[in-house]
Amino acid sequence: MSITLDQVTKRYQGVPVVNDVSLDVREGEFFVLLGPSGSGKSTLLRAIAGLTGVDHGRISLHGRDVTNVSARQRGVGLVFQNYALFRHMTVAENIEFALRVRRMRARERRERRKELLRLVALEGLDDRLPTQLSGGQQQRIAVARALAHKPEVLLLDEPFGALDAKIREELRRTIRQVQRELRISTVLVTHDQQEAFALADRIGVMNLGRLLETAPPDELYARPTTRFVATFLGAANLLLARQTPDGIRLGAAPVDVPGAERIDNRREHEVVAVLRPEEAELAPTPEALASSYIARGTVDEVVFTGALERIRIRLDDRAAAQLIGPENNPDVGMLEASRTQREQRMFPLAPGGRVAIGMRRIHVLPTPLSSFTALAAEASQAGDLGRHPFLVNLAARMRTRVSVRVEPALAAPAGAGRVSRVEPAGVAVLASAPGVLEQLEWLLRQGVTEVLILPPPPLNPQRVLIHWLDRFARGGTMAVAASLLRHIAAEAVYLGIMPAGTPDSERSLGIRELLDARSEAQAMHSLEMRTELRTGDSAAELAAQLKESPEPMLILGIAAVGQLRERFAAIFAGAPTRPILVVYRPVPGGSRA
Amino acid sequence: MSSFRQPSVLPGFGLTFGFAMFYLSAIVLIPLAALVLKAGTLPWSEFWHVVTDPRSVASYRLSFGASLLAASVNAVFGFIIAWTLVRYEFPGRKIIDALIDMPFALPTAVSGIALTAVFAQNGWIGRYLEPLGIKVAYTWIGVTVALTLIGLPFVVRSLQPALQEVQSDLEDAAETLGAGRFYIFRRIVLPTVMPALLTGFALAFARAVGEYGSVIFIAGNLPMKTEITPLLIVIRLEEFDYRAAAALGFVTLVISFLLLLSINLLQAWGRRWMVAGGR
Repeated sequence: MSITLDQVTKRYQGVPVVNDVSLDVREGEFFVLLGPSGSGKSTLLRAIAGLTGVDHGRISLHGRDVTNVSARQRGVGLVFQNYALFRHMTVAENIEFALRVRRMRARERRERRKELLRLVALEGLDDRLPTQLSGGQQQRIAVARALAHKPEVLLLDEPFGALDAKIREELRRTIRQVQRELRISTVLVTHDQQEAFALADRIGVMNLGRLLETAPPDELYARPTTRFVATFLGAANLLLARQTPDGIRLGAAPVDVPGAERIDNRREHEVVAVLRPEEAELAPTPEALASSYIARGTVDEVVFTGALERIRIRLDDRAAAQLIGPENNPDVGMLEASRTQREQRMFPLAPGGRVAIGMRRIHVLPTPLSSFTALAAEASQAGDLGRHPFLVNLAARMRTRVSVRVEPALAAPAGAGRVSRVEPAGVAVLASAPGVLEQLEWLLRQGVTEVLILPPPPLNPQRVLIHWLDRFARGGTMAVAASLLRHIAAEAVYLGIMPAGTPDSERSLGIRELLDARSEAQAMHSLEMRTELRTGDSAAELAAQLKESPEPMLILGIAAVGQLRERFAAIFAGAPTRPILVVYRPVPGGSRA
Repeated sequence: MSSFRQPSVLPGFGLTFGFAMFYLSAIVLIPLAALVLKAGTLPWSEFWHVVTDPRSVASYRLSFGASLLAASVNAVFGFIIAWTLVRYEFPGRKIIDALIDMPFALPTAVSGIALTAVFAQNGWIGRYLEPLGIKVAYTWIGVTVALTLIGLPFVVRSLQPALQEVQSDLEDAAETLGAGRFYIFRRIVLPTVMPALLTGFALAFARAVGEYGSVIFIAGNLPMKTEITPLLIVIRLEEFDYRAAAALGFVTLVISFLLLLSINLLQAWGRRWMVAGGR
């Protein structure tokens, strides 16, 4: 491994901008860190270069731990967005800077310079000043300068940002060529997915300081595991579908999903499906579709973009209800499709035209959090809860929707029986109030599997405590925690709690379980979490932690409804003041429910 | 005239150009021309006698020598102050930043009196320098101290924006290339702010040459020793020898012009890499 990051964290004024990032960049690999501005990607690059210290974690280059080594001695080459050439020095002096610092002899310096200028195809410009060169040429010189001292790794921070499209393409090719020729491990930071696709051997997508997914470009595009990556890489329509024992259903239509193996299909629940615009098929009637029909709609807008035609289609009501993206506005119900020239000729379309939509290929995200439903006994309460800033914010970040539902049974849940109308759809949200435990129990008995309890705003969780009681709840809780933590900038801490007086022999077992949980979270859900082991009563420990931590949130996994009252009553006593997300994964067969 | 007229977003080029020329003439050129004419009324031999008089020559040496020395001292310490103000965040930074301008606002006579009080043989600082054999008040050192005080803001204010502009990216780049702190300062930071430093130096120098009020109190004004040229001019005026005063003024003008011109040329040479369009 040429670059290894292990749980790297960097905070600014307490807020993590790089949050528990672990990464291996292979020898000679071109790795692209992709993310929106403010996602922490540039900070991470500066940390690798040694220009920014880290608060936690380790960085190694070729097996050498450089966490505490200064930028001077790290031996990396860094290229900046604005070139950062020394303007008072000629091209030759710029390139030779690193060599002069190392007191290399003039003749050798000159040879190396000639070699580098040939590499970036700018021979003969030695005596120019940077200001006499074009932007593209300046950036090539910057690349040559960064390579002069034969660095172990090359780091590029948005190197094409200041260039126009054509030069960008050219420089992209040069950099790829240079990288291949030198076989130097390279990390490039960008917010431009085209650039990432064009250059990367592997792409790592960052958001809110976390490294969400790492995969080769084609795989990342075809099979993203998170909502963020699905919508950040190319256009994506997000649809709510249902996982049933017989497979995935979108509305009434069964959907054939090839890559569904990673989805928990033992229980019925809502899932998020990604339909790429180019995988949507349009035809005059459902019968004329070659793929499975999903909905009808009216063409709203047709945009010609050259090779492709982009079409926005307003879905008819029933289907629109399933659509949660790309607009993140459930009222709009617009589906995006794109067609090739050939498809356009076969079935010309204009705004106002009616179409039947089919899907050729759909990808289901293995995320357990699909949508939110704010529930209350009265309409005004439910409405208020649906507008809770934390919830609205979270839903916006997750590109999903918050629906509001009045459920009179919540007023007196203890006496209410089973109400068939409450079908499990996404996360149920309850307002924190005395008696919330009864409401929670009632909801779980109705078949709801995730319930979020929200105290009044403002909420800004900094530390998410994760705890599960039962091994049956373990996988599900981890998946929910991973999904949630991709969308809030907080640190994750798994609390393992052993009963007081546990013999030492069992203690080591507890520690082992803790470490297992950590590596499983990392491997299966790319969730980096810290672990803490406590002894004592679970509820008391959790309550203490919730009280002591600044702005905490709790994710609690259980396998039986009864466990809430038996083991955690203390947490729900009165009205909880911290947000709590309960994850219920019943024991198969229901023997303990 | 239209040949050097440039298209501009601001209208009224003819009007503004005319006004600028008139203003420059009325305020600067005509008075200077009058000075030259006045000096020209003196017969050549007499002119030569006035300007090469040993007392005059000694005053030039003190005026220009002390001014150059003061500007140099300011270049060094002003740089350090500007660097501190730009690069570090510390309590009271805003207050110190405001204090820098004080020498601008203070009547120069007041600063002269204050300096004399501090540096006189029995002053706060002077009494500790006395046993060391260092006399400040009533010597050339005192003149330099006064000129340093009034020149400081020029250097600091010229440097501040330039230092702010030195992209920290440049320093980061140099660091990843293996350069140490001192090397980065010498090879990257200093060359980049050199034009601004020269501007500050030139302004401080020009101000010092013309300074009168603060110097006369601390200098003691001994002919041949601590007498600056502006003072000598005033003495001649008080003797109603206007032509001699004008002759001395003319010499001051010429020397100042030559020095400032060379600083400007040096500056242009230092900026040669900052051609238009460069980022």
